[in-house]
Amino acid sequence: MKSPARELLDLPPYGRTQVEKRADLTQRIEALTRFHYEACAPYRNVVDRVFGGLGRVDFRRIEDMPFLPVSLFKDLELKSVPDAEVIKVLTSSGTTGQQVSRIHVDAETAQVQSAVLIKVAQHFLGKERLPMVILDHAGVVKDRRSYSARGAGILGMAQFGYRPFYALRDDMSLDLAGLRDYLGTMKGRRILLFGFTGMVWQHFVQALEASSLRLDLSDSILIHSGGWKKLEALAVSQEDFRERLRAVAGIPRVVNFYGMVEQVGGVYFENELHFLQAPIYSEVIVRDPVTLAPRPDGQPGLVQVVSCLPTSYPGHSLLTEDLGVIHGADLPGTAMKGRSFEILGRVPKAELRGCSDTFQTRAA
Amino acid sequence: MSGPAPAAHSGDVPRPWAGLDGVVRVLAPEPSGPGFTAFLDRTLTHQGEPFAAERIDTLQAMSAAFLADPLLRADAASVAAAYWMRRAQVARLREEFQRRSSDASVVRVPVGRVLHIAPSNVDTLFIYSWALSFLCGNANVVRVSQEMGPVVEAMFGALRGLAEAHPVLGAGNRFVTYAHDADATAAISQWCSHRVIWGGNETVAALRPLSLNPHASERVFGSKFSYSAFAAAPYLAADPAEGARLASGFFNDLFWFDQMACSSPHVLFWVGGEREVAAAIEAFEASLQAEVDRRGFVPSVSSAVHRRAFAFELAAGADVQVALEHPGFIGVRVRDAAGLARETCGGGLIRHSRLDRLDDLVAFAGEGDQTLTHYGFTSEALSAFAALAGARGLDRVVPVGEALAFDVVWDGYDLLDDFTRQVRVKPA
Repeated sequence: MKSPARELLDLPPYGRTQVEKRADLTQRIEALTRFHYEACAPYRNVVDRVFGGLGRVDFRRIEDMPFLPVSLFKDLELKSVPDAEVIKVLTSSGTTGQQVSRIHVDAETAQVQSAVLIKVAQHFLGKERLPMVILDHAGVVKDRRSYSARGAGILGMAQFGYRPFYALRDDMSLDLAGLRDYLGTMKGRRILLFGFTGMVWQHFVQALEASSLRLDLSDSILIHSGGWKKLEALAVSQEDFRERLRAVAGIPRVVNFYGMVEQVGGVYFENELHFLQAPIYSEVIVRDPVTLAPRPDGQPGLVQVVSCLPTSYPGHSLLTEDLGVIHGADLPGTAMKGRSFEILGRVPKAELRGCSDTFQTRAA
Repeated sequence: MSGPAPAAHSGDVPRPWAGLDGVVRVLAPEPSGPGFTAFLDRTLTHQGEPFAAERIDTLQAMSAAFLADPLLRADAASVAAAYWMRRAQVARLREEFQRRSSDASVVRVPVGRVLHIAPSNVDTLFIYSWALSFLCGNANVVRVSQEMGPVVEAMFGALRGLAEAHPVLGAGNRFVTYAHDADATAAISQWCSHRVIWGGNETVAALRPLSLNPHASERVFGSKFSYSAFAAAPYLAADPAEGARLASGFFNDLFWFDQMACSSPHVLFWVGGEREVAAAIEAFEASLQAEVDRRGFVPSVSSAVHRRAFAFELAAGADVQVALEHPGFIGVRVRDAAGLARETCGGGLIRHSRLDRLDDLVAFAGEGDQTLTHYGFTSEALSAFAALAGARGLDRVVPVGEALAFDVVWDGYDLLDDFTRQVRVKPA
């Protein structure tokens, strides 16, 4: 199946009002639901056994269409194309011992994913490639056969820059001299910086603060992604984060984005109001965590992400384990149309009382 | 003080626990009392008398202290533990104990020194294990998890408050915690004359290899699986008051420990015809949700997310029907054996399965099964079932609502026997 997102690639990613966008996206999500129902047996089973079958589904509203809990990709192999068509398997980052999600991607899904990412990134960066500083170490992308989520994220962003410079050494220390040399050769040009939130904080902001050296990156943009958990634990707010980046390196624009390996193409960049924004290919829904009833704007709940992109696996509608809140749509103060939202954190891991084991398993 | 080893054992008892004072943290009854190793040394000759008055008085005082604590009084499982320690209930236990000792040729004595390894999260279980052993006259070391909840903290607070008025507590009992440290458990295992490990499987596998002193005995409780059986016709015929009582009992069985206790039911077997059972399940779920509403119970977000993921995964691989419409729990109607795997989800996930006859459940029963809670069967039917299913591994058959009630016979073993020794006396 051709990805329903293909037909949207010529349009500006944030150009449709919420009403226009919904009418269009609803049909595309219906088409994907019907396609995956035919193509993926476990998905069909879930639709039949949890949602009562396609005949019982009301396709007039995305809120009423089937979804999968994102954790299902950890335990089940869910794909809608024959094995021969799978060109790569993406895995989520996870700490040792944790099960990881396995996402099967074919050529169509990979192409459209890349095209969508370009459209969205160009909205922020312009069409020209920028000299790029990656706030990570080069080792993360060395083994191209097994992309971690981190490596895949870096490679995905690297297509928007040229002469990438990895600013961290293998031991995660900041290569300040190398970075200064690099910036020296790029004088007068706008710089793109990219990194994962926790590492930007620990190995860039804090490293610079400790060294008492300052950088001049007054013509630059930093794009960052990844969980906020580490910073939350340190009581660092998003404002603090931007403020301290400005203080140590003069970076004027810092843009966060939210996404997950389980939903390729579901990329949500920050708008001018520092809320995350759903582009024309995607939607976000917030539900009551217990009853699953959709929550009105302003009321926090469990985040569901919807994307009309993935055809190789049924990841077009996923109930995440993130808590969030919708702040409205087509908001004044930003030119970006569509829903604006915020991620508030992650649902704590189930800690059930019970006859669970006294001791964790450990090597004797 | 390092305490000289007592005369009776001094020659042949090694003291591998000599270095434990910096490792083991004593939580109760006297956190500031003498060193833990000195306690272990001193209690090598501990002598207690089963069901001595001072022990019964102490439990009565504990019961009152629990009920006087606002946090414990609000926790149903703690209240149940408090009632269990009351004088009247302990008197019944003593009668049971005396019945067993009525044979003049047997004298029951304490087994001596008992090491209890408590499960990490069934907050109240360690109290039963300890209290029974304490009543039997033993010295006790109870190891609890380092991640104690507020309930356990409050219990220790109550215990500390009693230490002065009840010296028997400090004389022979220590409630302790320490890091996951096999060396500490190994050392205390050399001290005890009986070790009881309250599961589950991983803990048993990790700790059972730690050797005991040659005269010691051991009881281990692995992970268990429990379920429930309802006769559909009597259930449908029950009056509304009876239905509400059942829902209330089932609610306790299900949610007291977030459906993660060994006795919490995971599968609800319905005995009857197709139509009857379908109607009964519908009525039951409505009634259980009404009980959830009545109690104002809202599951945690974690539980809701966790059990939903479990239900979806079940639906992807087994012939089931998942009902998400009840906020209190998820009901899953299972139509094939693949949906009956002994995996525990917890947090309020019930799998329904239909049977033609109760006897059909015998084939399902297996090793590692613990409690069947039941409704609507005759005592003859239950006895016949218990004989067959019990032989295959089931431990316990009790009415709905009593899944979590503590019993001195646990998982098929008599704890009064475990905590005592029988001395044969044969006059010339």
